[in-house]
Amino acid sequence: MELQDIYYNKQEYVETASGNKVSRQTVLCGSQNIVLHGKVIVQSDAIIRGDLANVKTGRFCIISKKSVIRPPFKKFSKGVAFFPLQMGDHVFIGENTVVNAAVVGSYVYIGKNVVIGRRCILKDCCMIEDNSVLPAETVVPSFARYSGSPARLITTLPEAMPDLMTEFTKNYYQHFLPTTPK
Amino acid sequence: MAYLTQPDYVTYVCSCSQLKPITSLYFCRHCLQIRCGFCICHEVDSHYCANCLENMPSSEARLKKNRCSSCFDCPSCFHTLSTRATLAQQRQSQEAAAAGDTKVENKASKKMYYLSCFNCRWTSRDVGIPDQPVGGWPERTHPHAARLAALLEHCRAISQLEKQDRLEKERKKFTIRGKYITLTDKTGLTGAMARSLAGMPAEGAPAAGFPPSVAEEEVEGLPEDFYTKEVDLKQITSMPQRLASPEWQPVLVSRLQPLPRALSVKRSQRCRQCDHNLTKPEYNPGSIKFKIELLALYHVPEVKIISCDPLKPGGTGSLLLKLCNPTPHELALRLLPHDYGTEVEECAEEEEGDEKEPKPKKEVSKRPALPSYSHLSPLDVSLSLAQRDDAAEYDDDAQAAQPQHEIVMWRKSNKMALRLNVSLSEDAPADRCAVAFTLEYSYRNTLPPSAAAPRQPQDHTLRTTVLLDLGKLTV
Repeated sequence: MELQDIYYNKQEYVETASGNKVSRQTVLCGSQNIVLHGKVIVQSDAIIRGDLANVKTGRFCIISKKSVIRPPFKKFSKGVAFFPLQMGDHVFIGENTVVNAAVVGSYVYIGKNVVIGRRCILKDCCMIEDNSVLPAETVVPSFARYSGSPARLITTLPEAMPDLMTEFTKNYYQHFLPTTPK
Repeated sequence: MAYLTQPDYVTYVCSCSQLKPITSLYFCRHCLQIRCGFCICHEVDSHYCANCLENMPSSEARLKKNRCSSCFDCPSCFHTLSTRATLAQQRQSQEAAAAGDTKVENKASKKMYYLSCFNCRWTSRDVGIPDQPVGGWPERTHPHAARLAALLEHCRAISQLEKQDRLEKERKKFTIRGKYITLTDKTGLTGAMARSLAGMPAEGAPAAGFPPSVAEEEVEGLPEDFYTKEVDLKQITSMPQRLASPEWQPVLVSRLQPLPRALSVKRSQRCRQCDHNLTKPEYNPGSIKFKIELLALYHVPEVKIISCDPLKPGGTGSLLLKLCNPTPHELALRLLPHDYGTEVEECAEEEEGDEKEPKPKKEVSKRPALPSYSHLSPLDVSLSLAQRDDAAEYDDDAQAAQPQHEIVMWRKSNKMALRLNVSLSEDAPADRCAVAFTLEYSYRNTLPPSAAAPRQPQDHTLRTTVLLDLGKLTV
């Protein structure tokens, strides 16, 4: 099915010169440490914890409502250190999802109500289904589809996954429109 | 993406008459046929560990029983185990103090490692595996290892013998061989032949001295307290836990051992008819690129449903479709009724009669059951669709005016939307309604001319049947 238009209130969103659309209703801590690489949508009530460590996203990422992007920490013998969180291009993060991963590759689809544990590595072209929990330090290989709690490999993804994700995120960006005041 | 998150609303009929979404279809540009996972050959390209992304040659993988030597799965919940480091200093110095030994102290600062599961909190210490210094974990040899190895060796010798016999026969049939690689070179049997030529005993010889297994009538009885002892379910492993290590099958939780992680494979696909590769991934396990990638999504026009009116049995409604041209050539499209092909098949066969590869006639008969209660209109419409242009999204200027047909709602670069009418007959099933049509499209083959087929026609007209799922009817 073709994606329908998604409308947002024009007052609520800030659009930057590089095409990022960021809701005013978000919590962006340490915004000097957050890099959105262009055409990224951050929807309302999302939290990005840039105060802990750097957060970098690629182009055409969608961070849905009430999701939390939080750099992972590692416990050492002398306290705790936070590590930067990197995200590739064309990544979709569903609603109410918590991402604690160290690396999220390109063309990754993360469903809604998902918990990605500390220092997980999500390789390019993978998919985490809705309502899954990925335990800490999991490596999700390319073209894998994970589901469940704890999330396990359930099937593989088609070879055209990069194209599907590119089309999906671009389409989403095009269909994410301001409501025209009448 | 909707292909992965939603049910398959649009399915294509594969050349083997399976109904599949376009994402799981391949397009062989040598046979000009749509292929699916059921009618192609899957081949293992390379082995790798999905956790450490280490490549392993297939011979080594076979030797290690397709398991990674450095990564382990949790025997309790099957999640990947993580290696944790501890400073062995305190423990060792305590031990040293207790033993009153001073020699250990200079070794004391060594880091020791143990395995721990972040999902179920199982650790290798739970089952009493001692912490390891840097390096591998000890491999266990199970009690039947020697016998299994002997059996394997025996089977291998027999198969070798059989192969050799077959080869002898074959050699008698074809005495002259060309300069090309012979079957013997390919299968590594030259060694076996050399042995036999040199008069050495063939490798089948060990078969003589092999002790066969003997079935025993007397088996050990159950322990006395088997029926009376109280069962502590927390101490007993579950069936999946036992079957995860078939050679051990631990009964008690305290006997669980880390499972070496099974390797993953990269697959390449091959067309069964013409033996050409359909997909071939790059060797590097981290790479998502392909050397060859003949997917239907890149060659066959893609059909999507934009929206559909609520339908009633016996009623009509409009159906909005989106068509997309993925190829770098302009497409000529024609919408046809889905049974169009079956009527014209015979005369088409005659036309194509002079082609080298005759079409198997069976294909007509094994078409899947397509709905006859629903019809699209207007059909038999000829349309054209512009080529794919990645730069088009950056162009501001509107599309050059094209001859518009009344069913075309809009065009945008290589996409267009069509408004069609679905009419249902009274006997349409209310729970799941579908409509099928055949799409005829032009295809330009960009294959470089080869020695086998120097001048093949470049432009083809191909047909594919598409089934659209319209969901439930309103009654």
